[in-house]
Amino acid sequence: MVEFDRSAFISKFQEEATDLLQRLNEGIINLEADPVNRPIIDQWLRDAHTLKGSSRMVGLMEISDIAHRMEDIMVKVREGMIPYTADMSDTFFEALDTVVFLTENAGKDAASEADLEGVTGRLVAMANSDVLAPEPGAALEAEVAAAEAAAEAAALEEEAEDAEGDEHDDEGQDGAASGPKRAQREETLKSKTQATVRIRTSQVDRLLNLVSEVVISQIKAEQRARDLRSVSGMGADVHNLWGRIKTMLGMLPADEQGAFLDDIRLLDDLFGDQRRALVALAKEYADDMSRTSTVVADLQEHAMELRMLPVSTVFTTFPRAMRDLAKQYKKDVELIIEGGDTELDKKVLEEINDPLIHIMRNAVDHGIEPEADRVAAGKPAKGTIKLVARQEGDRIVIEISDDGAGIDPDRVRSAAVRKGYITESEAKSLSDREASYLIFEKGFSTAAIITELSGRGVGMDVVREFVVERLKGSLDVDSVLGQGSTFRLTIPLTLAIIRALLLRVSGQTFALPTSSIEETLRVEPSEVIKVEGREVIRRQMRTIPLVHLRDILGLDSVSAPENKIPIATLGFSGHRLGLIVDEFVGEQQIVIKTLGSHLKRVDNVAGVTILGAGEVVPILNVPDLMANGRQMTGMRSRRAGSTVKEQEGGPRRVLICEDSFTTRELERSIFEAAGYIVETATDGAQGLAKLREGLSPDAVVTDVQMPNMTGFELTRAIKADDMLSSIPVIIVTSLERDEEKAEGINAGADAYITKSVFNQDTLLDTVERLIS
Amino acid sequence: MTEAGPTHRFHADEDRAILRRRAESLAQAGEEAIAIETVGLLLFRLGEEWYAVPIERVREIYNEYAVTRVPRVPDFVLGVVNVRGEIVSVTDIATLMRVPSRTEIDLSDEKPPAIIVANDTCSSAIVVDEIGDIVDVPKGSVEPPLSTLDKSQIEYIAGSVFIEGRLIGIVNLEKALEPVGENT
Repeated sequence: MVEFDRSAFISKFQEEATDLLQRLNEGIINLEADPVNRPIIDQWLRDAHTLKGSSRMVGLMEISDIAHRMEDIMVKVREGMIPYTADMSDTFFEALDTVVFLTENAGKDAASEADLEGVTGRLVAMANSDVLAPEPGAALEAEVAAAEAAAEAAALEEEAEDAEGDEHDDEGQDGAASGPKRAQREETLKSKTQATVRIRTSQVDRLLNLVSEVVISQIKAEQRARDLRSVSGMGADVHNLWGRIKTMLGMLPADEQGAFLDDIRLLDDLFGDQRRALVALAKEYADDMSRTSTVVADLQEHAMELRMLPVSTVFTTFPRAMRDLAKQYKKDVELIIEGGDTELDKKVLEEINDPLIHIMRNAVDHGIEPEADRVAAGKPAKGTIKLVARQEGDRIVIEISDDGAGIDPDRVRSAAVRKGYITESEAKSLSDREASYLIFEKGFSTAAIITELSGRGVGMDVVREFVVERLKGSLDVDSVLGQGSTFRLTIPLTLAIIRALLLRVSGQTFALPTSSIEETLRVEPSEVIKVEGREVIRRQMRTIPLVHLRDILGLDSVSAPENKIPIATLGFSGHRLGLIVDEFVGEQQIVIKTLGSHLKRVDNVAGVTILGAGEVVPILNVPDLMANGRQMTGMRSRRAGSTVKEQEGGPRRVLICEDSFTTRELERSIFEAAGYIVETATDGAQGLAKLREGLSPDAVVTDVQMPNMTGFELTRAIKADDMLSSIPVIIVTSLERDEEKAEGINAGADAYITKSVFNQDTLLDTVERLIS
Repeated sequence: MTEAGPTHRFHADEDRAILRRRAESLAQAGEEAIAIETVGLLLFRLGEEWYAVPIERVREIYNEYAVTRVPRVPDFVLGVVNVRGEIVSVTDIATLMRVPSRTEIDLSDEKPPAIIVANDTCSSAIVVDEIGDIVDVPKGSVEPPLSTLDKSQIEYIAGSVFIEGRLIGIVNLEKALEPVGENT
């Protein structure tokens, strides 16, 4: 098994925990003043829950345990089962301090030094104390204690703030020194040095915004310098002309000259001075400009670098993730990482983690064969997955390759036909490479049960769309049957700048990202073939449907068509589409900006850019164009998923069985936000009763551990009931051992989502997929 | 809170005196507050009617601008403009609020003035026919919106106020600046 750098993983947790702990401490202080303030309690519960989940994921079970117990108490407070009292604050503060201590000493065997038993004991006692009025005399005491606790918390906050600056050298310098005692903590406070400054990304973004404005102004100023030079050139022409007139005037009889001789001399001097001044000004201005442009170029480069981080900041967590994946799928896999020092924009880096994990999970699950198969095929028993990052010009390429079975194009073909994505004859006409692209189709999956959203083919479409839409990049796959597959992610160095083709439609300029353009052509009208009322062209033995960009965008037809028709062909998800435009303007680098705070999402438009002249130009959104264009050409294949469902109309209904109030309400809000009607039950028995009373939801989402009837029992009951068995059951739980997962699947669950990977999209996507 | 009962029984007279003093001081404070509490409004004209936005929501007034149209947006979004590097939407507030007797906006020629307004989450340049004065009105003089307004209009009006014989509708910016396309 590979070694992994746990400290890098943990430092991420420490960073998050610092914020959470600060908020939890503040929450307690606020609660003391206002013990029944529901929003404060809710926020506090959310933070505690996050702390529980995060600590659990890095393996700090002691912290997870404390957070869990604190959560228990606070849930009871919220539900009015126990009142919030001042002495609770003490216990909470003590517990939080212990968490701080454990967090700072994460990765070391520090658990024994903290009074864990004492803390958990007090928390348990508090959770079990049913309605217990404060003793008459205790009030004052509690107040004093609370004041002390507040002071303690203030000191804590101070440190939390300070620790933000240099989270990297935390463990090394003072890990052991800063115990829960305040005096010691203050001492370490002094020894810390400020090596870095933490700045909010929004501040950096604002700075970058202004820098790009400076760049635009600079481009304009350079244009002015050129204009000035041409004006000074005109001055030279005027001077030459004047010279000839002066000579001619000199040839006039002297008595006719006399009247304006002085004026001529004066004008001559003025012309000379003006010309010299103009030439000098133009030259000085040009010099100044070239100096500023160097500075501005540097400024832009350094400003962009502010956001650049090595990919290793994300990659370091992968060995651990890979180990877990290998264990989960019972495979022996080695992960090789290369090019960790390649730098990438922070925003891109944040977004890249999930798609990469997704692809690696896919590689472990589908790519790497079981050991026996590998040995039989003459491969080493241990599989290898290689993760390589490198820079190629203004893009970063990340390859994830495995030495597994590869994608079988025939299996993909037959699966695609079976699921109705393509017809038998279409399947035959697809090349192997095109067939393997089908795995990127929406909802394409070859597996019978979803264990988690990721993997199992589900989600490769999501990954790809994410990469294209969010990261403005592309995702491709190369596969050799029997030898392995390589997924190649190509993404721009920064999200802020892309290359784009500027084009004109109906008198308006648009930018089309070049990453999705296959080619730009000018075809003779005679080359456009009409088939069944659609327009297509043939390119390299392929038929490409055509659509007018102005029709997709709903613009008026303005100009008469040129002799040759300009067409940009797009390639996305293995599909091609030719966009007919009025005119190509040219290709250039553009700075991406959003449409502003008011326009959150506009169909077909990904953002805008500001051209040198200050002109604002919309940037087209390729996935939208493809989807809308294909719909217009009628080439869109039958698709499972949301589009079909929306047409059917009527809100969908989901039953949530969950004993934890927090989780239940969280799930409720997720589903309600997505337009579902939500029914809830606090345990399996209640849920089953509701189902038998005739509530017929489109799906049941259930926890496992519940009083009266567990989620497994509920699932078995539903699946055994003829009336109910068709309702999809999704188990959401913190149990993630394989045996438990197997029990869930044996019970007949349609999907199994573990809370550690739980997020809004996972849940919704899974449910929507099962409903459709 | 729980011991409030017995305390009253023992010191009823003293308590009453304290309560009276507090009531007096509160009443005084109230009078002062009413005298001070005014709301600043920027008036503007749409067609033949006058409306207003709270001045604290106004970022700037914008006269010279080049609107870039954005395809397939609701009819009240005229496009976007570049305000010193920040992209801001341009809202045809009259169309949004369905203000009658209003002529079409022509952005190609002489442009109507725009007011850049912002709430906590978003900002937009609203196009008006004419910009009026900034007035301070007492908070108490702000009345609820006219009940004769129809339902589609009333949600965009936060209240109304009489100034120099004119009834002026105060625009509900929280509603008018709802993000576009968030749930599609």
